[in-house]
Amino acid sequence: MATTLRKTVTPGLFILPALACILLILIFPVLSGVRLSFFEYAMRDFATGDDPVFIGLDNFRILFGSANFRASIRVTLVFVSGVVVFELLLGLILALLMEGGIKGLRLFRTLFILPIMIAPVVVGLIWRFMYHPSFGILNYFLARLGLDPIPWLHSTEWALRSVIIADVWQWTPFVFLILLAGLQGVPKDLIEAGIVDGCSYLQNLFFVKLPAIASIIAVAAILRLIDAFRSLVVIYVMTYGGPGVSTEVMSLHLYKTAFMAQRLGRASAIAVILLAILLLFSSVLVVRTLRTERK
Amino acid sequence: MVVRSGKAKLLVVLLSFVVVAGLLAGGAAEPEVEPDRVVPEEFDWRQFEGETVVFNFPAHAAYNAVAPLIPEFEELTGINVETDQMAYMRLHDAQLLEMSQPRGDYDLIAMVVMWKTEYADGGLIQPLEPFFEQRHLAMPDYDFDDLVDPYVENTGMVGGDKIYLGGEGATLYGIPLGAETSFLAYRKDLFDEHGIDVPETYDDVVEVARYFAEEVDGVYGLAMRGASGHQATHAWLLHASPFGATVFDENWEPAFTSPESIETLEFMKKMVEYGPPGTASFDQDGQFNAFLQGDTAMYIDASVITGPIRNPEQSAIEGKVGYALHPRARTNLSQTGGFGIAIPSNASNPEAAFLLMQWLTSPEVERRAVLDGAGPVRHSTVNDPELQEKFPEFKVLAEQLNYANPDWRPIIPEWGEINEMLGIAINQVLTGDKTPEQAMQDVEQPIRDVMERAGYYD
Repeated sequence: MATTLRKTVTPGLFILPALACILLILIFPVLSGVRLSFFEYAMRDFATGDDPVFIGLDNFRILFGSANFRASIRVTLVFVSGVVVFELLLGLILALLMEGGIKGLRLFRTLFILPIMIAPVVVGLIWRFMYHPSFGILNYFLARLGLDPIPWLHSTEWALRSVIIADVWQWTPFVFLILLAGLQGVPKDLIEAGIVDGCSYLQNLFFVKLPAIASIIAVAAILRLIDAFRSLVVIYVMTYGGPGVSTEVMSLHLYKTAFMAQRLGRASAIAVILLAILLLFSSVLVVRTLRTERK
Repeated sequence: MVVRSGKAKLLVVLLSFVVVAGLLAGGAAEPEVEPDRVVPEEFDWRQFEGETVVFNFPAHAAYNAVAPLIPEFEELTGINVETDQMAYMRLHDAQLLEMSQPRGDYDLIAMVVMWKTEYADGGLIQPLEPFFEQRHLAMPDYDFDDLVDPYVENTGMVGGDKIYLGGEGATLYGIPLGAETSFLAYRKDLFDEHGIDVPETYDDVVEVARYFAEEVDGVYGLAMRGASGHQATHAWLLHASPFGATVFDENWEPAFTSPESIETLEFMKKMVEYGPPGTASFDQDGQFNAFLQGDTAMYIDASVITGPIRNPEQSAIEGKVGYALHPRARTNLSQTGGFGIAIPSNASNPEAAFLLMQWLTSPEVERRAVLDGAGPVRHSTVNDPELQEKFPEFKVLAEQLNYANPDWRPIIPEWGEINEMLGIAINQVLTGDKTPEQAMQDVEQPIRDVMERAGYYD
């Protein structure tokens, strides 16, 4: 009896400090954010000492009644899906090209990491300059090729695509690195067995390699998904959400609500909605990965 | 209810300030027994010797010009000045966070005028009259009345005829430094070359813009801001003022669906059409670059551009620019905006900060800063014949200031939110996504909701 107790309680006691830390720095802020989403609270109320006013679900009601907020959900979903799909595809293709260990792999790998290491603000500025309608290098090349200039950042049609391109440029290498490591970890004998059995390259890819690294692909997808949902800085610098609201992702809408409109309660409500969407998407991915791993 | 509690807070802040001032005065009295002190009648610059003032200000021509002079103030007063310079769009967050604490880091802040009501209404900055009334604090030869009236009203006055204006019951919270109005700057060389008259009306502007865009290779019409949000709203307000359009009517009902407002938007659409590519995405930098790099023949906006025009590192058009009054539609009314300096309520050394505030905006320092690229905020500077000789735009400015309109933008505490909402709608007009009527109607109810919730219709 005593030993079973020790077996159950002792580990619990050892986990307790870590648990307390997690509660303090992770769960508590989330909960207080959720709580704040039911209140009306301006930043200057800090100074005046006015208490937040409880307004129930008003923040959510106002948000879903706002065309700009609904637009920001749509923009976020398009941005995230565009970014994740293209990054996974390109990253996978690059990883497959390089997995055989081509000449100068080290050099390529270093070059590929560069975009990840550049600060987001700088990435935003670089791309803004490259997209510039008069001085930008992209339109310069288009003109040299005899093509019409593209209104990269100042047309509703193009702005979101341009923002996606910039994000794909920065984060494809990250996906590439993860997938490359995954591919290099696939046991050689599996692939050789496939070859012996007469698999073509594509058969080997789809029936041996990809299933072997499925969970790694899922991890890369989850990481990019979470990051893309929260990405703010590059868009802030490149377009500040414009033209109109065509690139205003939810995190930017949140920023503007909190700091321009000074509505902390409503900004918290946006954060709660963002969190809910994020949890929905990532839990689907996590559950599916776990299930395939168990098989 | 909220206002009353705000006032009560203000009172508490004021009272506590009086107490602190009393303590400080007591502390400062001690060194006066020293034999080599100046005679009591003379202004004592060294009364706050050893104190530290933290000054938060933007990267802006006027502040870049005064910043190098600050060591002289330190030498004069023995006050240690720490400067915290940042990009102007970042100031707001930083200042709000500092001023929301019981004791903030900042003793003197430079604020964009559109934040003043929010700060003053929230009790975050201090009224300045109590400082000016204390003889030992008010610097002699300051000549307050020499400061340009519309600038003082626009930068510093809260709680008058309207909450963001001067008039009866208004309180002074800020002093203009880096304040600006608007005027027309044009490429004299191009106008001469093509035999074009300087536009006096908005119809002329349209005609000239069309001419350059269609007839002259590589040159477009007007450099205008247009980016979604604050920038687009700024551009609209700038042109709405002479067209006679306003955001609200006297009863705070949205008025931006009026024919005057639609007319303003139609004008802006034409300027996008005759402007350089990307006009609808220009922020102030984009607008400046378009004019400074010679892409456009005209610029109508903040007078602060004169500094960059003369800076050969930024400008390809130095010496090729002429200036004229803001063109007339129904009126000549130009904008008032830019920056002012204020003292946070939670400043550690408000009195030392007040000395710095006066010194920075004193006639002598202003004159020197103007020579180094700052815009003038004093009548004496604008009308100085010697300076008018050196800076051709001063003659235009001196006349333009008669038309500077302190009520061109409704700086109510809710303005931050409305500014963004309106700016998105205006940008949608400029990109052609919506017609002017459609865009303004779409945003009318959401903005009215904000005003209703804030209690303007009770």
